[in-house]
Amino acid sequence: MARAKTDDFAARGSGWWQRRRTRELALVACFLLPSLTIFFLYRVLPLGWNVLLSLQYWSPLKPARWAGLDHYEEMLIYDEVFWQALKNTLIFIGASPFAIALALGIALLVNGNLKGAAVYRSIVFLSYPLMTVAVGIIWRWMYDERGGIINFALRESGIIAKPIPFLQSFEWALPSVIVAEVWQVLGFYMIIILTGLQSIPPHLYEAASIDGAPRWAQFMRITLPMLKPSLFLCVVIGILNSFTSFDLVYIMTNGGPGHATELLITYIYKSGFGQTKFDYAAALTIMQFILLLLLTLLANFIAGGNAGSLEHR
Amino acid sequence: MQRRQTFLRHCALLGICAGMLLPFYWVLKTAVTNENIYAYPPRLLPASPHLFNFVDVWYFIPFPRYLLNSLIVSALVVGCNIGFNAMAGYALTKSFPAKRAVLLLFLSCMLIPFQATIIPAYLITSKLGLLNSYFGLALPLLSTIVCIFVFKAAFEAVPQSLVDAARIDGLGEWRIILRILLPLSKAAIATNVVLAFIWSWNAFLWPLIITRDPTMQTLPLGLARFLSYLEDTTGALYAFAVMVLVPSIFVFLMAQKEFIRGLTSGATKG
Repeated sequence: MARAKTDDFAARGSGWWQRRRTRELALVACFLLPSLTIFFLYRVLPLGWNVLLSLQYWSPLKPARWAGLDHYEEMLIYDEVFWQALKNTLIFIGASPFAIALALGIALLVNGNLKGAAVYRSIVFLSYPLMTVAVGIIWRWMYDERGGIINFALRESGIIAKPIPFLQSFEWALPSVIVAEVWQVLGFYMIIILTGLQSIPPHLYEAASIDGAPRWAQFMRITLPMLKPSLFLCVVIGILNSFTSFDLVYIMTNGGPGHATELLITYIYKSGFGQTKFDYAAALTIMQFILLLLLTLLANFIAGGNAGSLEHR
Repeated sequence: MQRRQTFLRHCALLGICAGMLLPFYWVLKTAVTNENIYAYPPRLLPASPHLFNFVDVWYFIPFPRYLLNSLIVSALVVGCNIGFNAMAGYALTKSFPAKRAVLLLFLSCMLIPFQATIIPAYLITSKLGLLNSYFGLALPLLSTIVCIFVFKAAFEAVPQSLVDAARIDGLGEWRIILRILLPLSKAAIATNVVLAFIWSWNAFLWPLIITRDPTMQTLPLGLARFLSYLEDTTGALYAFAVMVLVPSIFVFLMAQKEFIRGLTSGATKG
C-alpha cells in the first residue's frame, strides 16, 4: 500500500507540480483582479486623465484641443481665487501641528494605568467616525449668532459685548471651520500617538530613571524620538485632510464669505461641477496633488528622511 | 504627590471630554426643543423636551427614501469589500511574479486621496453609464487598500501547519479559504465591516457629484438639501442630524476595538 503511494507520487512528478503552480497563479490573478480593476479605474486612470485634461481645452460637448500650459498660466498669473484658495489650504494644513500637539498632550494624559482611561479615550475619539455633513451642521449651529452656545458663552462671560457672526465674517470664518475640523480629527491623532506610545519599550524609561534623568528629559530624549513615525503619520493625515475637508467647508460656509474659506478642493468642485470647466478643475487638481507630494516630502525630510520607510517595514 | 497628580490628570481629562461632548449636547438639546430656537438667551436645558421634531423629519422630506438608498449602497459596499479585500489579501500571501509591483501600486494608491480624482472619476462613471445608480455610488468604494493589508496580516497569522494538514487531507484551495482561513480571521472581517460601513454611510462628495436624481440620493445629501431650504424653521434639521449620527455612533461603540485596530494597523503596517 505504502509502496503504491510512493510510485504514484513519483509518477505525478514535476508535471503535477507545474500544473499545481499554474492553477495557483491563475487563482492569484483572479483574486487580485477585482481590487486592481477598482484601483485602476478610480486611482491610477484618473491621475493620468487629470494630467491630460489639464493640458487641453475640453468641455463635455466640444472636441478636445491642445492647450499646453495655458490653464496653468491662467491659474498662476490671473486667477486670484486660486491664490486665495492656496493660502487657505496652507493655513488649514498649518493648523494641524497644533492639533497634533494637543492630541499628544491628551494621549500622554490617558496613557498608562489611569482609572477610566478607556472611557476618556472613547469620548475623545467619538467624533471621528461621524458623518461630516452632520458635524458641519452641528458646528454651524454652535457658531450661530443667536441660538449658538459659543456666542452665548462669550457674551455671558463678558468677553464680547456684541455677538460675532463667526461664519459670516471674513476674519473669523476660516479659524472657525478649522476648530470644527480639529474637533473631528483630534481623536484620530490621539489614537495614532497612543499606539506609538505603547510600542515604546518600558525598560528605556526604567533605565533613564535609574540614571536619574528627570521626567521632561525622558520625554525629550525617549518619548519624542520614539514617536517620530507616529507623529509623521499624523502630519501626513493633516496634509490629506485639506483634501478630505470638502464636506465640512461645503456645509459650514461653502467657501464664503467671498472666498474667505475657499479651499483648493472646494474650488476644484466649483470649477468642475459648478461652471463645467473640467479642464481647468483638472489643472487645479494637479496643482493640489503636487502640493500634497511636496509637503509630504518636506515632512519626511524634517522627520529625518526615513520616516516614510515605516510603510515598507 | 502621586495622588495629587492623578487627581489633576482626571480634572484635565474631564475638561477635555466636556469640550468634546458639548457639540453632542447642543444638537441633542436643540433636537428635542419646541420653543423658538433662535430666542436669546438660548436655554441651556430644553423647557419641555419632546420628540415631535423627529416625527416631522418623516413628513418634511422623503426620509425613508434616503434611508433606503443609504442602506442599499452601504450593504453593497460592505459585502463587496469583504469579498474583494479578502481575495486580494489572500493573493498577497502567495508568491507570484510582479508581487513587488502590485504591492508598490497598492501603497502608492494610498497616497492618492479620492477627492483628487473626482473629475475623471465622474467622467469614467458617466462613460460606464452608472450615473444615478446604486452601483455607480458604490463602485469607487468597493475595495479598500487598508483592509486588504488587514486581511493579509490575518491570513499570515494562521499557522502554516494547519493549512498544510488540510491540504494533505485533500481540501481544495477554495475550501481551505472558506473552512479554515476565513473562520480564523473573524477579527479582520469585523474590522472591514465597520470601516466599510462608516465610510460608505458618511460619503458625501461622491454622491453629490454623481446623483442628480433626488430619488437616488443618500442621507448626507438629504441632510444637505434639508439645510438649504429649511434652515430657519424648527429643530427638525437637528433631529435629522441626530438620526443620521446614531447608526455611526452605535456601530462605533459596538466595535470600537475593531475600528481602531483597522485604522491603526493600516497606519503603522502599511
